[in-house]
Formats: sequence, C-alpha cells, structure tokens
Amino acid sequence: MKRFLALLLALVMTMALVACGGKNDTPSTDNTPPAQNDPAPETPAEKVDINVIAAQYGQNTGDWWANFVKEFNSTYENINLTVEVVSWNDIYTVVNTRISNNQAPDILNIDVFADYQADDLLLPAEEFVSAETYAKMYPAFLDQSVVDGTVWAIPDLASARAMYYNVDILEAAGVEVPTTWDELRDACAKIKAYDSSIYPWGIDMTTDEGQAAFAYYIWNNGGDFTDANGNWTLNTPENVEAIEYAISLVKDGYTNSDPATETRYDLQDLFGAGKLAMMIGPNSIPTYIAEGGSTINYAFAAIPTNGGNPSVSAGVMDRFMCFDNGHSDEKIEAIKTFFDYFYDDARYSDWVLMEGFLPATSAGGEIVASSDPNMAPWVDIVGSCKFYPTAKAEWADVKQGVINVEQQALLGGNVQELLDNLQAEIAG
Amino acid sequence: MSKLTAPKAAPAGSTTARSGKKVFRKIEPYIWIAPSVILMAIFIVVPICKVFQMSMNQVTKTNQLKGFNNFENFIKVVKAPAFTLVLKNTLVWTIAVVVLSTVLGFMLALVLNNKFRGRKIARAIVVFPWATTLVIQASAWGFIINKDYGTLNTLLMKIGLISQPVNWTPTPEAYFAWEIACGIFVTIPFVTFCVLSGLQSIDTSYYEAATVDGANYWQKLFKITLPLVKSSLTVSTVLNIIYVFNSFPIIWTMTKGDPANRTDTLVTYLYKLAFYNGKQGEASAVSVIGFLILLVCASVYMIYTLRKGDDDL
Repeated sequence: MKRFLALLLALVMTMALVACGGKNDTPSTDNTPPAQNDPAPETPAEKVDINVIAAQYGQNTGDWWANFVKEFNSTYENINLTVEVVSWNDIYTVVNTRISNNQAPDILNIDVFADYQADDLLLPAEEFVSAETYAKMYPAFLDQSVVDGTVWAIPDLASARAMYYNVDILEAAGVEVPTTWDELRDACAKIKAYDSSIYPWGIDMTTDEGQAAFAYYIWNNGGDFTDANGNWTLNTPENVEAIEYAISLVKDGYTNSDPATETRYDLQDLFGAGKLAMMIGPNSIPTYIAEGGSTINYAFAAIPTNGGNPSVSAGVMDRFMCFDNGHSDEKIEAIKTFFDYFYDDARYSDWVLMEGFLPATSAGGEIVASSDPNMAPWVDIVGSCKFYPTAKAEWADVKQGVINVEQQALLGGNVQELLDNLQAEIAG
Repeated sequence: MSKLTAPKAAPAGSTTARSGKKVFRKIEPYIWIAPSVILMAIFIVVPICKVFQMSMNQVTKTNQLKGFNNFENFIKVVKAPAFTLVLKNTLVWTIAVVVLSTVLGFMLALVLNNKFRGRKIARAIVVFPWATTLVIQASAWGFIINKDYGTLNTLLMKIGLISQPVNWTPTPEAYFAWEIACGIFVTIPFVTFCVLSGLQSIDTSYYEAATVDGANYWQKLFKITLPLVKSSLTVSTVLNIIYVFNSFPIIWTMTKGDPANRTDTLVTYLYKLAFYNGKQGEASAVSVIGFLILLVCASVYMIYTLRKGDDDL
C-alpha cells in the first residue's frame, strides 16, 4: 500500500511538473488582470483588450506604466489595457518567443523594428495612430522608421550625444575646448604633457557600443553609413580617413588604454573620477555622474569635426510599433485611443523626464525645455541629430561589422582593406 | 459443492493477483524513473531537437523558421574567418583550464589530505571560489587586474614593487591568459574535492606496507595514490571538459570575446551570433558543432568506463 501511495505521489508530482512547464507560454502581466479571467457577471463582455510589451528604461519605468494603466483603464472603461515591462536583456527573446507561438503583443515598445517589418508582422503607423497624434512627431524621427515609403513605427523617446570635458583639466593644461580634429589632437598632446596619468580622450570600441564611435567619426568627417538612395557606403574615403584618425589617437597614447574592452560606462567612471579629460557621451551622463557622487567640474560642447563639416550629434531613438494581429475596427480605435492618451503633451513630457530622456515630439520638446533649463540645449541637439540606419534589414550585420573593423584596426589591421571587405560582405 | 468449488476459486484469484503483481513489478521501475525521463525530455531533449531543427532551417531575425536550407547555416559558419580562430580559442581554453586545474587541484587535495591544524578551515576556504557565482568571480578578477583602479596595481605600488600602474592586459593574448587563470581558479575546488574523496577511501595499510618495503614518497604517489584515485580523476576530468567547454560567464564578463573574436570561445561566439547579429540559424549550427565535439568526448569516456566495467566482471 505504501509503495502504491509513493508511486501515486511520484505520478502526481510528474503531472504537476508537466503542467508547470506548459504554463511557461502564458503571458504574465504586472498590472491589472485580464478581463477574461474575471468571472464577475457585471464585467462588460465587450471590453477590448490591448496588451503592450514595454522596455524597462530604468527603475522608474515599471511604476510609471503601472500608474498609466490604472488611470487609462479607469478613464476608458470599455478598454482593458495590460502592460508588461521587460528588461532590455530579455525583451528580444520574450518578443521573439511570443511571435513564434503566435502570441505577438498588440503594441511593442523597443528600439528596432526592421526585423519585424521584414517578416510582415507590423501595421503601418498611420493605421494605428490618429492624425492628430501623428502630426506631433518630429518628421526627422518618423523618417527613421520608413521602409518602402511607409512609416512602420513611431518614436517614443530619444537620447543624443555630445562631447563632455573636464573644465579644470583643460584650464590647467592651457587648452581651449576643441572644435576640430586638429585642435583635438593638439589638446590631447597638451593634456598628456600636463599630466601623463590623465587620459585626454575616451574611446569605446567594444561590442557594447563600438558602432557609436564609428558614427561619431564618420559623420563628423562628411561620411555616412549609406548614400542618399540608402545604398551602403561603408568604405568611402571619408569613412576610411575617419577611422584611421580615431585609431591614430589610440596609437599615439591619447586615449584610454584598451578601447576594445572598456565600455562607455568604464569611460564615464574614469571621467567622473577626473582621470579622463574628454569623452563623447549621452545626455544621461550628468545623472550618472551625480549618482556616482562625483564633484568634477565639467561641461559639454559639440563633437569636434574635420574638413569644415558641421558638427553632427548621434541620436538614439526607441519606438512603438503595432503588430498586425488581425485587429477589429473597434480594437484599432482602442489602440489609437491608447496612443492619443500616451502622447498627451503633459503626460508625454512626464514620460520623457521620468528617466531623463529627450522627447520625440515638438510640443513635448517645448515643455521639457521650459521645465528644465539643463535640458534645453539637448532638445535643440536632438531635433537635428543623425540616427543609425536601423530601418535597413542589414543593420545588425553592419553594426557588428563596423565594431569588428575597429577592433581589427586596433590590432594593426588596414582600415581600407577591412572596410572594403565589410562593404563587399554587406552590399554583395 | 461449495466446499469443492471454493478451493478451485482460490487458486484462480491468487493467480490473477500474482499475474497483476508480475505486471506491476515489470512496469514499476518505469513509473519510478518517469519523472526524470519527463523532466529530461522537456528540458534537455526538446531544446536539443529544437536547436538541431533551427540549425538546418532558414531562421528569420524574429525567430521564424522558413524551411530546410541545405545545411547553409553550417557552410556559412565554417566559412566565416572568425570560426577557425574561435575553435582554436575553445580548445586552448578547455585544455589549459582542465589540465592546469586538474594538476593544481590534485596537488591541493594531497595537501588537504594531510592532518594539520586548521585543516577544516582550509577545506572550507577552498570551497569559496566554487560557491561564488562565476559572474562575480570574473568581475572580481577584472577589478583586480584593471590598470586604472585595479587592486593588483595598488598593492604593488604600495609595497614599492612598481612606481606606475602596469597594464596587465596589453594584448588580447594577455587578456585570454587572465581569463584562463580565472577559469582555473574556479575549477580547482571541484577537482580538489573529487580527488580528496578518492584519497580518503585509500586504506592506510597500503602506505604502511610500502613504507616497510622501503618505498619513497614519489613511489607511493605514483604506485599507490595515483592508481587508486584514477577513477575520481577521470570523472572530474570528463565533467570539467564539458563544463569548461560550455563555460560562458567568465569570458563574457571580462571581454565579451573582444577584441575581434580573439578571446571568443564557441559559446560566446554563438551568443553574439544569436543575440547581437540576429543569426539564430548560424548560432544553432555553432551549437550543434559544439554538441558534437562534446558528444565525441563523452563517448570516449562512456566506452572507457563500460570497458572497465566489463573488465571488472
């Protein structure tokens, strides 16, 4: 009998384990439970469900969305909104798993969209956003989400880059803030002569963000990833010259010792500790430095350029996109309502300021600029900065490719040959 | 009549019960192992099959399978210039970590097998690297060797051995050597405790007899100790080959395989392919290649142990 009971227990445990395994695919939400789980008869049967997967930008993101959902659901009783906030480490896997299981979210907040568009999974932006909300976006931002003449995603926020410098170090070394590459090299030499323990210039060519370094130098030398027709132009003379210049700064000992393994965060730590004089970084650096307890005297300026080209800031933009899940007209209207509510000027500027980002709408920009004087110059910068060509399906390969070129060049490779090879590999 | 029929019915009932018991006894072992089999099927067999399926299919960046593609993923992987380098790194990494940690772990086990004051504390300290997560270990090693704020430079400068910070990782090879050192450090405890368990099972009378016969330390080590801990060493070596070959956190935390794949192993390389380049099909192909390499190693071990089992019979 005992043996039988033990066997029965083992079987029950097995079945329980199997059942637990099967539940893995069920989407979990961190907010209000879905209406279909509520057996209460008074719940309106015709409620429209909208599920959103949103990226976690920082520690405030979850709370912000939780409040948003609460307010939205109480304002629109016929809509049941659920938002799942997922960390950046997991979001791509989570979304791809959902897509594989035919459980794509209705709305996704993430950085890239081209892969989903290439698999015909998305709706055109103008089909899920009202004309009024659509008109609020910076046109330059919408252009970054165009494939075959159609906008497939809308921007939710952005960040921009500028050159940060340690005012005290530059003054002590008798250096003016550099605006050109020649001035930058000269400034590096003077800082090195002033104190050899200080790194004059920071470069991050790691797997994390090496593509950003590539962009800073080529854009400020008149080069680009693509031409006006969208064809890849990775091995142009301007690009080769730009990367050779960046590598020469490393070889001359003007930069951090190991740009292939020292990430932007390592550079920010060095900058905050007063061991790095100048670096290019995002608008979030002041927050990072303040949280680290640093008291250095610093300021920011335009990124130095070469050949009389105007200074170009690199922008990074995240997006909302809507999956084509065969939505009814009623659901499309509910989704439009969601975006109208989200992009309400006051609510949207609150969203942007929540984690210290920059707005993607002109009205949001005005509110952010007036509410925080420190952000005002950044709002100007973000309106005119350049973006990575993330709308192109080959972007992931190009991104890793240019990082590899930089790292090979650091090891002594020929930049021209490396970029020629990459161009041939990408463009065919 | 009833008296006549009753004895006939009883054997029939007991026969049924006996055959029922027989059947039950036959299937009982399968019921007992069912939980393990189901768990293995869900968490091991299914993912392996999925990886094989993906490696032979065209996979989009959103993880959609678009059909069999004539082993194109394998062809692309093998043709990639980085693959040979990564394969070589993987072999260097695995052999260096396994061999050196086995030698050092064996030596440490010999020391810890001796009776001395504080032996228990020493044994507990040896467990620490094993008990700490690999990401923390790798971060700590990265922090120690960092040129700008590393503790190694600080220590050496304080005791006056160096006057300026030294760059301990001037080349990719140097970085890889540090990663191997970290790998050895975290692997030694496992070897030590495997060997220690073997050492403790050796009867001291062997050593007493050898001493009476005039054997020296090395003779006892090679003629008694090594043959008797051979099975423990075999187990730890084979398991270490599998663990170290598949190890991801140390290299990923310290260098992410940079610069230019110089410190990549198959596992970090396939991770980049899958989650940075969005090439899930090629990443699966690399995974299958790694799986096959380990399968060969495990097969050699299985054949070796099975043959040994036969010999014992």
